[in-house]
Amino acid sequence: MIGPYKMRLARAYIPFQRYGQVWSPAEGLRRGTIFPELFSPYIPRDKGSCGTCQ
Amino acid sequence: MWIYEKKLQYPVRVCRPNPRLAKEIITQYGGPDGELSASLRYLTQRYTMPTGQAIATLTDIGTEELAHMEIVAALVYQLVKDAPLHEIKEAGLSSYYADHDRALYFVNASGVPWTAAYIQSKGDPIADLHENMAAEEKARATYEWLINLSDDPDVTDVLKFLRQREVVHFQRFGETLMRVQDYLQCKKVY
Repeated sequence: MIGPYKMRLARAYIPFQRYGQVWSPAEGLRRGTIFPELFSPYIPRDKGSCGTCQ
Repeated sequence: MWIYEKKLQYPVRVCRPNPRLAKEIITQYGGPDGELSASLRYLTQRYTMPTGQAIATLTDIGTEELAHMEIVAALVYQLVKDAPLHEIKEAGLSSYYADHDRALYFVNASGVPWTAAYIQSKGDPIADLHENMAAEEKARATYEWLINLSDDPDVTDVLKFLRQREVVHFQRFGETLMRVQDYLQCKKVY
């Protein structure tokens, strides 16, 4: 059991975001979100200049 | 009704032509997991959403996807507009050029035109919201493959912004799904 929900089978659960600390509009535009807890940048792969190193 | 702002949601400044990259990025314009598919899917599905909150979320995100479509269009156009014909040929864009010159058209990375078959509008809010959450993840993954393919830091910067928006949208659709599931459950009980 997580949070206030009695979890049922065969349905999806997503935790609700709580409004908290936010970045400035300029910082939010640069990052794509004003919410630190939703910011999850991608680490590129397949970028090696040679075939053997990662 | 919409109000148009005569600027992009995120600025696009591309310094040099790169038709190879344009050919790949255009899939987010007219491909299955692209921004046209996303915006039309949400803006069409909203009529059969059961709550005001769900309708508003689909309207808001569908509207933002239209703004992303415009960003992708600006990216593709800036990457091809000054490209010489020999570079367009070398990039494998000559068949596109034959039909469209350097104009924007809704195709995927292989040149297949957009089709409404990419999207669904099921009349079942649970099914539709799951489709939308999957659509956000597929768009996020596509942006990641495009970031891997990009050799232009200015383009990569825009792709990273668009990718992060998909993450935020997934959360919003997830919260909407929770509310709609609870709403439908309550209707059954009372």
